[in-house]
Amino acid sequence: MYVGQAILRREDERFLRGRGHYVEDITLDEPIAHAAFVRSPHAHAAVTRVDTARAVGMPGVLAVLTGADWTAAGYGEAEGVWPVKDMSGADARTVNRPFICTDGVVRCVGEIVAMVVAEDRHQAQDAAEAIAVDYEEKPANTITARALDPDTPLVHPAHGTNEVLVTEHGLKEETEAALARAHHVTEVVVPTNRVTAASIEPRCYMGHHDTVNDRYTVWTTNQAPHIVRRYFTKSLGIPEHKLRVIAPDVGGGFGMKLYHYPEEPLVLWGAIVSRRPVRWVGTRSECLLGDTHARDHHTVGRMAFDEEGRILGVKFETLGAFGAYESQWNASITNAYHFTMLSLAYDIPAIHTTVRGVYTNATPVDAYRGAGRPETIYQVERLIENGAHEMGIDPLELRARNLIPAEKFPYQTAIGIIYDSGDPPALMEKARALCDYDALRAEQAALRAEGRWMGIGMVAFFDMAGAGPVKMMNDLGAKIGCYDVASVRVHPDGRITVFAGSHSHGQGHETTWSQIAADRLGCDIDHIDLVEGDTDRVPMGIGTWGSRSLSTAGMAVYTAADRVVAKAKRMAAHMLECAAEDLDLADGEFTVKGTDRKLSFAEVANASYHSGDRPADLEIGLEETSFFDPADCTYPSAVHVCVVLVDPETCAVTLRDYWAVDDVGTVINPMVLHGQVHGGLVQGIGQALMEECAYDPESGQYLAGTFMDYAIPHAEDVPSFGLDSHFTRALGNPLGAKGAGESGTIGAPGCVANGVIDALWHLGVRQITQPMTPKKIWRAIEDAGRAQQ
Amino acid sequence: MAEASVTLTVNGREVSATVDPRTLLVHFLREQLQLTGTHVGCDTSQCGACTVHLDGRAVKSCALLAVQLEGADVTTIEGVGGPDEMHPMQTAFKENHGLQCGFCTPGMVMKGIDIANRHAAPDEATIRRELEGNLCRCTGYHNIVESIAAGAREMSG
Repeated sequence: MYVGQAILRREDERFLRGRGHYVEDITLDEPIAHAAFVRSPHAHAAVTRVDTARAVGMPGVLAVLTGADWTAAGYGEAEGVWPVKDMSGADARTVNRPFICTDGVVRCVGEIVAMVVAEDRHQAQDAAEAIAVDYEEKPANTITARALDPDTPLVHPAHGTNEVLVTEHGLKEETEAALARAHHVTEVVVPTNRVTAASIEPRCYMGHHDTVNDRYTVWTTNQAPHIVRRYFTKSLGIPEHKLRVIAPDVGGGFGMKLYHYPEEPLVLWGAIVSRRPVRWVGTRSECLLGDTHARDHHTVGRMAFDEEGRILGVKFETLGAFGAYESQWNASITNAYHFTMLSLAYDIPAIHTTVRGVYTNATPVDAYRGAGRPETIYQVERLIENGAHEMGIDPLELRARNLIPAEKFPYQTAIGIIYDSGDPPALMEKARALCDYDALRAEQAALRAEGRWMGIGMVAFFDMAGAGPVKMMNDLGAKIGCYDVASVRVHPDGRITVFAGSHSHGQGHETTWSQIAADRLGCDIDHIDLVEGDTDRVPMGIGTWGSRSLSTAGMAVYTAADRVVAKAKRMAAHMLECAAEDLDLADGEFTVKGTDRKLSFAEVANASYHSGDRPADLEIGLEETSFFDPADCTYPSAVHVCVVLVDPETCAVTLRDYWAVDDVGTVINPMVLHGQVHGGLVQGIGQALMEECAYDPESGQYLAGTFMDYAIPHAEDVPSFGLDSHFTRALGNPLGAKGAGESGTIGAPGCVANGVIDALWHLGVRQITQPMTPKKIWRAIEDAGRAQQ
Repeated sequence: MAEASVTLTVNGREVSATVDPRTLLVHFLREQLQLTGTHVGCDTSQCGACTVHLDGRAVKSCALLAVQLEGADVTTIEGVGGPDEMHPMQTAFKENHGLQCGFCTPGMVMKGIDIANRHAAPDEATIRRELEGNLCRCTGYHNIVESIAAGAREMSG
C-alpha cells in the first residue's frame, strides 16, 4: 500500500535542479514580445485624456491599446463563476472587475488604462511611461467600515449605494432570545485585516494566436486552467475548442491564482493585434496591488453564555469587502464560506449572521486560502476567549464544555450545514497533552509574577473543504459544477499516464495521485506519470482550490483506476479462461485465486490493445475517465494551541510554540500533509502579526507596494511546529479523506490573537485589531491603563 | 543604448556576451544564458529567489548588473550537483520535504549551501537568522530549516 506512506515527492528533482517550468521560463520558436501596462495612480478619478501618440513610434513598440480599442473590438467583460445574489435570489448590484478602463472612470489604484506591446521589457516599459493620461481626482474611500456611512463617496453612483448585497443566515429569533436570557453576553468588534496571498512567483501570462490554424494558446499562472478557458469565452469571445490553456509549474497559488485577471485576456489581445506571442511578467508592486486582496470583514459579534459558560447563541453583523468591483469568486465568501462554518467545533444552539457586501475604492477582494473561514474562526474564537476571561473560567475548560461530543455526529449545526464526522473532544485532549497545558498555565503565572507577559491562545474549529457536490454548490451560488475529472490511460506496455483536472502548485499531486492510482491498479508507483494543467491533454477539470483536489480529482483518479481494473479483469479472465471475480490483482499480476495461473498487467494491457481474441462485447483499449461528483463536502477539524511572549519593553510578540492537532480523515501522505499544515499556519500567523494591505485613509493611495512594506513572515518570525492528528473517516468519498490545505491558515489568526489577549488580559486589554504590531499592542496597553485609572 | 561586453565564468564555463548595460545579472542568466532556475520574486531584493553564488558567496542576482561581473565566477542552481547526482543540500531538501511549489527553492538551496559553508553544524536559530533574506510562502520554513540542518551535516560529514 502506498496510501498512508510518507513517499518522497516525485516532482522534487526538477525544482531542486532549477528545471522547473514556470510561465516565465517558457521559450517559443518565435521571439516573444513583452507587455507593459499604464495603471491608475488614483483611488478614484475621471480619465479625461489618454494620449498614446508619443508611445506609438518608440523603438520596438508593436502595439499600443486602450479601453477605447477594447470597446471598438467588441470584447466582453468578466463573468462571475460565483455571482452575487441577494437574499431574494435576485442579482445584486454587480459591477464586474474591468480588464481595462472603458467608461472613463478608474475606481481603485492600479486599474489598467492602457497597454503597450514591445520587443523587449525595457522598450515596453519606456513606451508605457510615454503615454500621457489626464485624471480628475474624485473623492475616494478605501475603508470597509465606512462604506455605508452617509457621507462616504459612492464607488458606483449609478447604484445609489455602496452596498452590493445583504444576506442573512441562521436562526434570528432564537439567537435574539438567547442573547436576551443569557447569564453573560460578550461583545467584541472583530475586523479582519486586508491581506493578500503574495505567492513568491508573480503572476505571469503569455498569449499566442496561430492565425493559420485559428487556434489560441494561453500560458497562465493559474490553478484551474479549464475555468480560464471558460472565462475567455466571455472576455475575448473565444470558443472553448479554439483555446488551449496551459498552466505549467505554478509558484504558489493559495486561491489568489484562480481568477481571470485583467492582464490575462489583455496579453492574448496584444498577441492577436501584434501577431506575435506576448508575455507579461508581474512586478512585485503590480502583484501586491493587482492580485486579489482578501479578508477585510468588519464584524461586530455578540455571544450569549449561561452560568456554566455554555454558549447559548451567537450573533454577527458584518460588512464584507468587495473592493471596487466584483471579482469572479468573491461572493462565495460572503454568501457561502463565511456563514456555513460559524458553529466551529462547538455545539451552539442558535446562530444568526447578517452580511452586507460593500464597495470601496480598493483592490477587488476574493478567495485566499481559507476564504471566509479565517474570518469566521477568528470572530467566534475572540468572543469565546473574552467570554471565558470575563466569566473567570479557564479558556480551555470553557471550550471543552462547548465542544460537539463525538456521539452527536453527523452533527447538524444551527446554521444549517451538517458535519459528517469528527471528534472535537479527542482533538482537544490530544492538544492539551501535546502542549502540557497545566504546566503552561503554571509557567504563565510564574512569569507574570516576574512582570513578564506570556499568553496561551487556542482555537477549535471545522473547515468546509472539498467543494463539492455539484447540486449543493449550485444551491450556494456556484455557476460551475464543482466535480473533478481524471483519466487513467494504460499504455500497451502496462505503464500508466494519469490525467487530472486538478492543478498542483506545491501540493505534490505527482506523488499523491500516483499513490492512490498505484494502490488501485496494484502496480509500482514508478510505472505512473501524471499530467495536469493543459486543457488540450486533460479532458476537463475544475481545478485546485478550497482544499478540494483530493476529495474530487483524487477520487476521480481512484474511480477511473477501478474502472480500468474492472475492464482489465474481463480481458484477463478471457485469457485465463476463468471468471473475472476469480482474479486477484497485486504487484502487477492477475492471479486466478487459489492457483499459480497468472498474467502480468502488461500482458493484459497489450492484449487489450492488440489481441483479436477478446470477449465480443469488450471494447478495444484500456483507458477510463471519471467525472467524480462527491456525495458531500468534507469537514476536517482541528484544535490549535500557541504560546506567545509579549516583550514589556518593546511590545514585540514572540510566537514561542505552536501545536496543531488535525483530523483530516484518511491521510494519503503524512509528509505532504504536515507540509500543508506548516505552510498554512505561517500564512495565518502572518495575518495575525504583520500582514496588511494598507491604504492611506485620506488619499486612498496604496502603501504596501513591495516586500519592504507588505510584511510576510520570515523564518525567524515563526517557530517549528508540533503536530498531532486524530482520525475520523469522511463519509462523502470512498477513501474517507478530508481536505487538508487550509486548516493552518484558517485557525492561526484566531489562535495567535487569543494568545496575545491572554498575555495582556491582566493589564485590561480586551481587543487589538490585526495585524497585532508592537505599536498597536503598546497603544492598547496604554489605553487600558488609562481606562483603569 | 550602447551595448557593453562582459566576460565571466558561469557554472565553470567562460561566457562572453554583449549586454544592454541596464541588464541585471538575473535577467542575463535567465534570458541570455537560458539558466531559468534562478527566479525573480520581488524586484527589490527581499525574497532571495534569485540567489546565486558569486565567487563562492550567496548574493542576490537581482541586485547586480551583468556588466559589474567582469572576471567573476558565478554559480547558479544548474551548476550545483553533478549530471546524475544531486548535491547533498538538494538531496536534503527532497528528503525533508523542504519545498512545495519550488519557486523559492533554487534560492533556498543556494543560500543553504552558503550557510553550511560558513557554519559546520548550524542550529535552528542560526539557520532561521541566516534566512532573513529568503522568503518562502508554502512551507512555513519548518522543513526548510530541517533540510538545511541535514544538508549541512551531510556536507561536513
